[in-house]
Amino acid sequence: MAMEGDVGAGLVAIGAGLAVGLAGIGSGMAEKDIGAAAVGAITEDMSLFGKALMFTVLPETIVIFGLVISILCIFVM
Amino acid sequence: MSLPESMSRIVIVGTKTHIDEAIEAMYDVKAIHLIDHTVGADEGFSLGTSRPYSPKASERLLKVRAMAKGLGINNKTKSNPVPVDEIKSQISSDSVELVEEEVNSVFDKRNDLNQRITELNAKKKNLELLSAIPVDLDMYSGYRSIFGVVGTVAEDPTSALSGVDCEVFSSFDKKKGNVIAVFAKVQDRDKVTGILAENGFSEISVPDGTGSAANALADVDHEIETAESELESANKEVENLLEKHKDFLEASEEELSIEVQKGELPLRIATSEYTFVIDAWVPAKKAESVKTELEANVEGVYVEIQETRGRSLEGTEEIESRFREPPTRMNNGKIAKEFEYPTKLVSVPKYQEIDPTVLIAIFFPLFFGFMIGDVGYAIPFIIIGAYGLKVAKSKDWRIIATAFFFGGIWAFIFGFFFFGECLGMHFVGIPTDGVTHTWQQLLGLDNLPAVFEGILPAGHGVSKVGSEWIGFLMKLTVYIGIVHLLLGYVCAIYNKTIQHGFKHAFLEKGGWLLAFLGIVLMCYGLANYLIFAIPNEAAMNSIDLYCIIIGIVLIIVGTVLNRHEGAQAILELPGIVGNVLSYTRLAAIGMSKAGMALAFNYIAIDMFAGYVWDPVTQTGSVEGSIIGIVFCFVMIAFGHLMIWVLAIISAGLHGIRLQYVEFMAKFFDGGGTEFEPLKVKREKTISNANKATSEV
Repeated sequence: MAMEGDVGAGLVAIGAGLAVGLAGIGSGMAEKDIGAAAVGAITEDMSLFGKALMFTVLPETIVIFGLVISILCIFVM
Repeated sequence: MSLPESMSRIVIVGTKTHIDEAIEAMYDVKAIHLIDHTVGADEGFSLGTSRPYSPKASERLLKVRAMAKGLGINNKTKSNPVPVDEIKSQISSDSVELVEEEVNSVFDKRNDLNQRITELNAKKKNLELLSAIPVDLDMYSGYRSIFGVVGTVAEDPTSALSGVDCEVFSSFDKKKGNVIAVFAKVQDRDKVTGILAENGFSEISVPDGTGSAANALADVDHEIETAESELESANKEVENLLEKHKDFLEASEEELSIEVQKGELPLRIATSEYTFVIDAWVPAKKAESVKTELEANVEGVYVEIQETRGRSLEGTEEIESRFREPPTRMNNGKIAKEFEYPTKLVSVPKYQEIDPTVLIAIFFPLFFGFMIGDVGYAIPFIIIGAYGLKVAKSKDWRIIATAFFFGGIWAFIFGFFFFGECLGMHFVGIPTDGVTHTWQQLLGLDNLPAVFEGILPAGHGVSKVGSEWIGFLMKLTVYIGIVHLLLGYVCAIYNKTIQHGFKHAFLEKGGWLLAFLGIVLMCYGLANYLIFAIPNEAAMNSIDLYCIIIGIVLIIVGTVLNRHEGAQAILELPGIVGNVLSYTRLAAIGMSKAGMALAFNYIAIDMFAGYVWDPVTQTGSVEGSIIGIVFCFVMIAFGHLMIWVLAIISAGLHGIRLQYVEFMAKFFDGGGTEFEPLKVKREKTISNANKATSEV
């Protein structure tokens, strides 16, 4: 069966998907531990909420990096 | 940028004979933050003892609270405020004790009735079982040579009992239970109880009385009925008492807690045999007026203004520890005040540092609005926010309402002028891809582009779609990030400057600023060359080259300045790139929201309603059935509501995160003590003086 379309574009799309997906898994793994600890700390002392929130969303940046890379892949390359 | 309010330290000295007036006066000025006396700090002084009226007030407060709880007074109970004079005279004429007597007599009655009903119900349960056995109640006991037991069993023991000389009455009923009564000789007692125990016997105590159990049961039913009607009237009495006394109880609770609070104030100050000495912080601009007011109103009191504390930390080690840290009173306007809540979530700013509240108040709604960026979502935000600001009282709801309102306004501005979107669809343009739609196309508004051309300068972004637009958004958010972070670094230098002087500040924080600028320049050059330049162009643009070179020099200089931080100075450098790129979330979240809206619109308009666009005649037609069109509207309503709710979470959380993690981490230390002046809050009582002593 003959392949229609551009293989290179397909590879770029796969790369973009992997960038977001793997980065998402990474930040999820990082966040799960922090989140569990943060909830524990908040139940002890409600005033820690702000700091706990800060630590919990820290790894969120990783997935944003993934997203940036994938957007660069799709729209710039 | 606002620093916390400047503070002065004062000493209030007076004779003990006038301590009560002094306490009253200090509460009236509402500007005195007490510094707790530490034992042994001054020779000849010791901690004071509570005022003589305090223990009695505490005791009464306890009684009032117990009554209020028993009567079911809670936050939702509405009561009329009572004038202070009236409640004071009521309290001093032993009203609390009188009301307690009245209330307790009803409570006692209610408790007795409740107990009686429980007992009667237990008796009723026994009688119900006994009524299955045809034996009168007085026949179960009173014999010399035989004994009788009655109870419930799990299994029928009749066959096992056949070996014993006894008489058995039994009633086996699945619903009511298996009841058995056994009469046997006294010498067979052990044998019988043994057999019964094997069959899961549990004895019923036979109530006193004569005649059949059924008759007794009717009597008990009657008694329960009477007791219940009595209980009902007792409950009514409690309700009447609540109605009668709620004003008094609420008002006296408030008045007594104020009295206890004032009465225990001497426990925090220094006293000698005849005098008292109070150290306190007051806002510097209020110091003189506090001095005159206290000295004028209270006999034998003298106030001295010790110092007005500057922001410098030099030499603070020599100050006595309890005077070292002035309290922080955030100095913000009416709108910015609402944003003190997110600042306090992290920490209260120190006295010697910038209070980031104003900066959060500016940037948080801006970022929130940028991420939402859609007229259709902005309008509900503005409406809900405005309504919330009008009705909300609690701090949590007020900050949410404020964020909604100002965030919504920014979202409208960005949505209308910048993105040109409403509910995920652009206003103008005729798309050809068959997936996206615009309002111009859907509604056939051919003059819409002309309208936008009329109100916006040429080249606006309203109809821009496509890859170059996304690249532009990415760059724009990075530039926003650079400005925001730069502000953070400047704040850091400013903080250190007011604390230790500029030289120290530059040596400590200037390195980071230089390294930041260097990395920005270097990345600008590299990105231009590697990503955005035409791929075939071999030679590097000279501007890019200079950027990279200057950038590297700045990074090196900055890192050298940062050498006091050790390896951190180098390890943190990639973090700066991370911080800047982190701001691309502004574009990313906006796009993900737009992407979801696109999907829902496609499902609703193309799949359910069957909208077909004819590119030749430039007209659209709806080919779906009526049901399809109904589904289309349901889908649009449901989908956009979901996106709207998700937008609160994602845009709100990421908007505040950019403030906390990227921005405030650059300069904010926190850990200050909040300024808490002596003052009372009267809600259930009306102050008789009604002096217009506004809050400082």
